[in-house]
Amino acid sequence: MYRYDEFDAEFVNSRVAQFRGQVERRLDGRLSEAEFRPLRLMNGLYLQLHAYMLRVAVPYGTLRTDQLRMLAHLADKYDKGYGHVTTRQNMQFNWPALSDVPDMLSDLATVDMHAIQTSGNCIRNVTCDPYAGATADEIEDPRPLAELIRQWSMLHPEFSFLPRKFKFAVTASPHDRAMIKGHDIGIQIVKNDAGEVGYHIIVGGGLGRTPVLGETLCAFLPKADLLPYLTATMRVYNRFGRRDNKYKARIKILVRDTGIADFTKLVDDEFATLDVNDTAVSQEECERIASYFEPPTFDTNIKAIDLDSQPEAFRKWVATNVAPHIAPGYAIVNISLKNPERAPGDITAEQMRAVADLADRESFGEVRTTHQQNMVLPHVRQDALRAVWDGLVAAELEDANINLIGDIICCPGMDFCALATARSIPVAQAIAERFSDHDRQQAIGEMQIKISGCINACGHHHVGHIGILGLEKSGVEFYQVTLGGDATHTAAIGDKMGAGFSQDELVDGIERIVDFYMGERSGSERFLDTYRRLGTAAFKEALYAST
Amino acid sequence: MSTLKHKGKGPQAMTANELVSGLNVWMTTDYGWSRDYADALLTEDDDQISIMDETAKAEEFANTVVGAYFIDTVDGKPARYRERFRTHGPSYDTAALINQERV
Ligand code: SF4
Repeated sequence: MYRYDEFDAEFVNSRVAQFRGQVERRLDGRLSEAEFRPLRLMNGLYLQLHAYMLRVAVPYGTLRTDQLRMLAHLADKYDKGYGHVTTRQNMQFNWPALSDVPDMLSDLATVDMHAIQTSGNCIRNVTCDPYAGATADEIEDPRPLAELIRQWSMLHPEFSFLPRKFKFAVTASPHDRAMIKGHDIGIQIVKNDAGEVGYHIIVGGGLGRTPVLGETLCAFLPKADLLPYLTATMRVYNRFGRRDNKYKARIKILVRDTGIADFTKLVDDEFATLDVNDTAVSQEECERIASYFEPPTFDTNIKAIDLDSQPEAFRKWVATNVAPHIAPGYAIVNISLKNPERAPGDITAEQMRAVADLADRESFGEVRTTHQQNMVLPHVRQDALRAVWDGLVAAELEDANINLIGDIICCPGMDFCALATARSIPVAQAIAERFSDHDRQQAIGEMQIKISGCINACGHHHVGHIGILGLEKSGVEFYQVTLGGDATHTAAIGDKMGAGFSQDELVDGIERIVDFYMGERSGSERFLDTYRRLGTAAFKEALYAST
Repeated sequence: MSTLKHKGKGPQAMTANELVSGLNVWMTTDYGWSRDYADALLTEDDDQISIMDETAKAEEFANTVVGAYFIDTVDGKPARYRERFRTHGPSYDTAALINQERV
């Protein structure tokens, strides 16, 4: 995995020292809050509803075990013993004291981590397929591309004060696990008819108050043109993106208002003015970055596991949480952070250490975070699956619900977030509780429920098969439902249903539509398939059947 | 420019966050701060409101608190849902589970 070079390390350490000085000056009054606020935000420190919150960047969701142990250390020493995996694959701490944050950042820097660009109108953490480097369906490992974009965008002088925040996602697989159409720029590594590898660039996607799916900006971009082309795109956005209205400042609004054809022309015209050799990185540098992501040396002599002789709970977990690996005899293990009694995405320091130990023993020291707020051990020998499961059981991380109705994406909502209009965590817990029976979850099959505590849509509700948006009127929380959203390669924005529900009514309503789907589905149809076949009206009727 | 100006309706309370911890506080009857809303001074008295305003500004200037503002209250409770919610903290926090496990 990528290790900082001297430049990275020196830069991060100098940023920590700067921030230490800024905090000192804030505490003794030399800096006012108005002066300090942008500085703390540049270092990932927010003031939330009840306390400060520190958001630590996990670039493209890849963690070494020393990094995960460091996050556990931060949770124990400076916070309340846990962290929260976000839908951008980062980790948040909900309760740090301002005076401790310089020490937290200093500790993070010792393992090549920081909280820079996790806030502000800059290019944020690049997200990525969590199965990168482990799945058979990818063209190549997308993480060197993500790392290249990270290096290019880190404190890019031209793009540090954009009209609004800017999010990249990358994948190299036709099965989109990175939601590339829901990002400002999504990149898919593709092959053209000549067999050359290049990039499909998608622009103008985003959720929030105006959900839009991205459109193709360039169907095949030669690899060498990547950074000049991204530079041209960012310049067009920087020049024409609206700065007068923050609700219209994202690139999706510019693309929509300009039209994709004209927007593409603007980018192409800008690209034509650039000297590609000025911005492009050399082949040697690309190879240097890629060398950090070389696959581990896989054992070619692994015995098949005899599942029949294993306990039923283990077999169910394998069926649900384990995915095929590119190397024969290996598997990708999804670790669910969706225990119905906990907040989706929360993981305790002890659990982090348990996952790090398992990764060291059984996954070449690699861990991933996912935008679905889970974790992944990317390279596990199949004959070690039982040992991994035993370890997960001991750490209470054995929930077998990946991609099922219990695997709910949920933002922190009113329980922690200063912008929230309603709570989301208790709603996720109530739904998970209602459908806690594993066999029922299995019978329902693939289902993505996504919950946001306000219109900002950090919980991606627009692209949930069932999306839930928490709102509030006259002091009472209520929840609006969307159906038919899809975050994958068949991306779709969900259809808004009618009037909202109280939390209790909502859980009943969800059960009604799930039961309706179970009754109507044909063959192996997923919920989404049946929804698409029968259409909105039928499901809407089921949703509101008792009201 | 002050953000503290009282524009509300009905009895007012003053709230802020402690600068160091970030935790929520409310102004008390002796114009100090408490993390417990039960201690909050709720008043419609213009003189008191003006003292609250000036005290909060001074406290922000002295860097004890940050982001002070008035909130409307009704029947002793904050009027807005968000502000009511702020008085009792998260309805769920994994920290509570960890503490149970560690006991
Ligand atoms: S969706 Fe709203 S409530 Fe949820 S984390 Fe984002 S801003 Fe906060």
